Amino acid sequence: MAETKPTTTAPAPKAAKTSKAAEAPEAAAAPHAFEPRLVAFVCNWCTYAGADLAGTSRLHYASNVRIIKLPCTGRIDPLFVLKAFEGGADGVLVSGCHPGDCHYTSGNYHARRRWAIFRKLLDFTGIDPRRLHFSWVSAAEGQKFADLINDVTTKVRECGPFDAHNPARRRS
Amino acid sequence: MSLVDSLRADAAAVLKDGRAKLVIGYRKRGDRSVPVLLANADKADALIWDADCKQNLAAYLRKPEVRWYKPLALIARPAVMRSLMVLEAESQLADPDVLVLAVGEGDAYHGLLDLKGVAALLKEKYADLAPDPTLLARIKELAAMSAEDRAAFWEEQFAKCTRCYACRAACPMCYCQRCIVEKNTPQWISTAAREHGNYAWNVIRAFHLAGRCTECGACEAACPQGIPLMLLNEKVAGDVADEFAAKPGYDPEAKPVIGSFNVDDKEDFIR
Repeated sequence: MAETKPTTTAPAPKAAKTSKAAEAPEAAAAPHAFEPRLVAFVCNWCTYAGADLAGTSRLHYASNVRIIKLPCTGRIDPLFVLKAFEGGADGVLVSGCHPGDCHYTSGNYHARRRWAIFRKLLDFTGIDPRRLHFSWVSAAEGQKFADLINDVTTKVRECGPFDAHNPARRRS
Repeated sequence: MSLVDSLRADAAAVLKDGRAKLVIGYRKRGDRSVPVLLANADKADALIWDADCKQNLAAYLRKPEVRWYKPLALIARPAVMRSLMVLEAESQLADPDVLVLAVGEGDAYHGLLDLKGVAALLKEKYADLAPDPTLLARIKELAAMSAEDRAAFWEEQFAKCTRCYACRAACPMCYCQRCIVEKNTPQWISTAAREHGNYAWNVIRAFHLAGRCTECGACEAACPQGIPLMLLNEKVAGDVADEFAAKPGYDPEAKPVIGSFNVDDKEDFIR
């Protein structure tokens, strides 16, 4: 087997095509090697229903996201975000009802205040702001949810794995 | 009369006539200025005032063994007076008759004040207390770095943390009976003095002081490891001022900054 392996993977035909491929035959596969892990904290009434709509509408979106449903964005403690980064998330999304639409009338207003300060504090202590996203997605915005997840996934993928530089990361 | 003489005279007077049963001030121990709790007017000569009096004495007001002595009096500089205003706004002063021996900037003595007097003094004389310019410059410097460099900077700082919680003990705003770091079902913040727990603790400590920190500097002065905690506090205080035009510690009836909201709050970061 050891002898046949080099012959089957020999990049001879590719090498003839372009010099770039000859230099690094694995480079072409590299962008697909890293798939970011996203954690989305969403509220039960709007964004989760929006995600549900995206699903029932058979919309395709990146499968990188792990959705965590909470009663309201007001229930999303900043510690949740830290815990996600600590456990190895490459990016975090927080999403809830549009202002004025909160099921509990004001949970999202309270959450907005918290995030405005907390995101800057995380940035200041070394968590790249491109890894932390916020949005309002209503129950009728299935398409917005799908686009949002795709966009956030692309952005976090561009940042690369959040490992060596992650100050919140739990190390074994 | 010098400042220290005035402090001693007023402390003795309030203890004698019963307006206070305990005066919280500073005395010298060796070459350090440490807090002293005076119940006896004859001992008022132990009181001192110098630049080393950094501990925020408002932190004592919530301790049951101190409250037992009420009514209380304490020596306070403007940042400490602001702490009193926040404590009052958060309904944490069970006995609002606390007396303040008010020491101003440049060792000016404003005499004995009640909380209303303190509020008036702060508004009149110390409404535009400016943060330390070197601190602001350092924050700017850090903000200009890349996220990775900042992470490296803070990792080095937080690595020193031994989780002694001296910062928490020194802070008059950290009065929770059970701090988030002590809650363990579930355990949100690891208590081991390791990277991830240290990061979470120091970040959350600063965040829980958002809109409450009065920049007295007691936490940083108390830190045995020399972690620049005021960088975090000042950064958050600056953001609170930018985002919500709020400066805590002036209005004893102010709503909490985090915990209230305005329908028109900025949301340029939300999609």
